[in-house]
Amino acid sequence: MAKLIQLRDVYKIYGEGLESEVRALDGVSLEVTEGEFVAVVGQSGSGKSTMMNVLGCLDIPTRGTYLLDGTDVRELTDKELSHIRNKKIGFIFQQYNLIQSLTVVENVELPLIYQGTGPEQRRELAMQALERVGLAGRSKHKPTQMSGGQQQRVAIARAIATKPPIIMADEPTGALDSHTGREVLEFLQKLNREGSTVILITHDNGIAATARRIVRLADGKIVEDHAQEVDWL
Amino acid sequence: MNIRQAVKMAWKSIWGKKGRSALTILGIFIGIAAVMTIVSVMEGMKQKTIAQYEAMGSNRITVTISSWLYDEEGNDISKDYFPELYDYCNSIKEYVVGITPTGWSNATVTYGTKSTATMQPTWDEATGTMTGEIPPSCYYGSDQYSVCNNLTIAKGRDLSVLDIEKYNQVCVMGAQAAKTFFGTADPVGKAVQVNGNNFQVVGVYAPRMSDKDAAAVGSPDNLIVFPYTTRRVLGDQKSQEFLVKARSPEAMTEAISRIGGFLKGQIDPSTGGYGVYPQDEWQQYQNETLSLIGGVLGGIAAISLVVGGIGIMNIMLVTVTERTREIGIRRAIGAQRSSIVAQFLIEAAMLCGIGGIVGIIFGALGSIVLSTLLMKLTIFPPLNVTLGAFGLSVALGLIFGSYPAAKASKLQPVEALRAE
Repeated sequence: MAKLIQLRDVYKIYGEGLESEVRALDGVSLEVTEGEFVAVVGQSGSGKSTMMNVLGCLDIPTRGTYLLDGTDVRELTDKELSHIRNKKIGFIFQQYNLIQSLTVVENVELPLIYQGTGPEQRRELAMQALERVGLAGRSKHKPTQMSGGQQQRVAIARAIATKPPIIMADEPTGALDSHTGREVLEFLQKLNREGSTVILITHDNGIAATARRIVRLADGKIVEDHAQEVDWL
Repeated sequence: MNIRQAVKMAWKSIWGKKGRSALTILGIFIGIAAVMTIVSVMEGMKQKTIAQYEAMGSNRITVTISSWLYDEEGNDISKDYFPELYDYCNSIKEYVVGITPTGWSNATVTYGTKSTATMQPTWDEATGTMTGEIPPSCYYGSDQYSVCNNLTIAKGRDLSVLDIEKYNQVCVMGAQAAKTFFGTADPVGKAVQVNGNNFQVVGVYAPRMSDKDAAAVGSPDNLIVFPYTTRRVLGDQKSQEFLVKARSPEAMTEAISRIGGFLKGQIDPSTGGYGVYPQDEWQQYQNETLSLIGGVLGGIAAISLVVGGIGIMNIMLVTVTERTREIGIRRAIGAQRSSIVAQFLIEAAMLCGIGGIVGIIFGALGSIVLSTLLMKLTIFPPLNVTLGAFGLSVALGLIFGSYPAAKASKLQPVEALRAE
């Protein structure tokens, strides 16, 4: 299997050289192969959010190399980074991050709009994605008319609408009760079984137990990285 | 992302905040309405003055000849240069269309009970027009009077060379004068008394201006023209002012210099003088004055547009701040900087464009109402002014939206996502 993600000695340093210098990532090396389900675990302040931003091409490392699908991310322009986020990565956030003024289906269509997909095909793909999360019937609703669990499912639909190879979930269950949280995790496992590479960022070991591989961060360093028995849901 | 999609998004966001959008638009709307009204009223006034001049015809040259040769009793015994001038002008037909005296007669014209001596016009303050019977103006003309003044015969015939040569006591009436004297009856062949002499009406000119325009400016069709040679019968002095019509604007210069040269050779400078000059200068001067007034007023109105534009910029900055998180989301899922710029620019341009459309509607109403009240004529805003106003409002949106849009696009995705 091809190496999808390769971090080599990556640093993310805020305020470098100052006394208040923070090393959010302090020499991290990591390889993720296509089709893996990796949980990045750590306490708050461990650098896991920075890790997610770097892996998600939302942020550029201060030093080191990040090869995504063989491309050095540090070499890319802002436009190319936007393109990668659009095509290769589907984000799922803790706070769902839906746009409140748009309907459910319009939210799901958004990444397709930026891809330049035509209106009809866009609607079709968005409806397919909503179908998969079981919300096709509520496509015309506004996010505010839905429960947290449903909103997170809309966010998942948005993440998978473009059929990206990587799904990146940042504390996806953080705002949900345990039952709906479980549903979300189950869905991530399903996506992984279907071939998506899933990266799950969490502070919760119980949640991390749903992943096949666990990477533990502390103070910006990887302190643990191994495969584990999966807690299939 | 295509434009159609961006426009749809912008509309959603404008419509989503109706109250705020309406208030923001107000500044642009008022500015555009003011500019529209001023520009179209000014434009309308200009068109009307041009229309008046055009009714008279363009390419007109005024020739004046003065003399100071008197006998012992003080009678003017100078030569009448007109016949020579007439012949000369008719010999340079490639430049000149016609020549006529423009002398005015205060002869009393009577037909039945109607007399120019008793006609009493009244000025109606309320409508700003002359009502009642306005006495026609009487002129001495050559057979080329009509061609020099853009007149055409509607009934009967024009003055002829023979009328001039034979001192025929005939006249041609303008449409308005004919109406005053004869109502709906046919004037041709009827005789009017001019200072007690019988003058036969041989023709009637077609009206040069519509009734509506004529009422607003005073009819140029309220005239009677006699052969200039009949002035002896009516006891008037020879004409000192003449009108030459050039063939084209290009022929004007040549005609002026040739006629000047001709008169120089004719008139003894010790007993007389002459002048030859184009009539368009006055018209030009009037147009320039109108343009200047319009420019100053328009400039003042334009200041209100700038204020409106700053309002747009302000509200767009607020919008960008409010929607920082949304921008972050859009960036995270693949929106390029240019897409964010387009989104906010289009939103600002649409806001201003809507303000512009409302402003155009009110400006059009304003110019119709104002022109009716002030000038007694109805001016609809010209198409170019309307399109210009719309273009201006959209341009304002683009100009004042560019800073907020740039600010939005420069937000870092990570930081924007963190915003509450």
